[in-house]
Amino acid sequence: MPALHAQNDLQISKVFEQYGEKRGVVMVELTNEMLDGYDFSLFKSLTIKDNPSAADFVRKCMLKDEVGAKKVKQVVTNGTPTSIYLQLPRKGQLYRLILFNETFHPEHKITLIYIESKNDSEDVLKLILKKK
Amino acid sequence: MKIRMKYKMTFEEADRLIERYYEGLTSGEEERELQQFLSQPGLPERYEPEQALFGYFNHKKEKRHISLIPYKRWASVAAVVVLVLVGSQVFFIQPQRNYAYVDGKKITNVHEIKSQALASLSDLSSSTDEVEEGFKNINDNELVEQQLNVFSGLEK
Repeated sequence: MPALHAQNDLQISKVFEQYGEKRGVVMVELTNEMLDGYDFSLFKSLTIKDNPSAADFVRKCMLKDEVGAKKVKQVVTNGTPTSIYLQLPRKGQLYRLILFNETFHPEHKITLIYIESKNDSEDVLKLILKKK
Repeated sequence: MKIRMKYKMTFEEADRLIERYYEGLTSGEEERELQQFLSQPGLPERYEPEQALFGYFNHKKEKRHISLIPYKRWASVAAVVVLVLVGSQVFFIQPQRNYAYVDGKKITNVHEIKSQALASLSDLSSSTDEVEEGFKNINDNELVEQQLNVFSGLEK
């Protein structure tokens, strides 16, 4: 199958569809672009401000997407996961990652990132976390 | 020594002609005779260089017949290969789709899109800071002491 639809089988694609073009939201899609040293085949991100129900929706979607995936990181705050990093099974030659984060200060903000890369997802994660 | 030859030339006569040929003194008629002499089979080995020399000129004079059919076949095969490659590029490689939506407004400027992408990545990095900060707090002696004090207060 073409690499084009590698994220379509994931539940988080619904989050991008539902919130991507709304107010208070920033959605980004980059394909086959070099991004500050990152070599991504596909990069999608969503930043949503002041929308706790969106955060709940993301969490529900990620619960389904984490089946068969490796949970690299999870931070639970007051019983709710506020940070989840998922390493998905490879699709063809593509490594895939879903990264979610929720912050409350100075404002409520959620960030959802989906990455496809030909580079090993562990290397991609290391690079992301290194570039602070 | 004489051998039976079609053109009735002895080795001595041939040697003399070859010598004159190398000196550039032979006429056209003499060169033709020499060529005919050298084209005979079964000559001694010493005539091999001259045979090769005249043989080369003979080949050069031959009208070369080049058939275009194999080239046409190769060209059609190459065209099919190129079509398959281009087709696979279209179907199997992601098209360039770069855009961002900010508050519902579409942005196509690549620099702006990249800066938005980097901003979302930095959100994740800062969350890692929070986690590390949390770990530091756990190791903080003061915090541990405060928590132990809660238990010591219960004993009083």
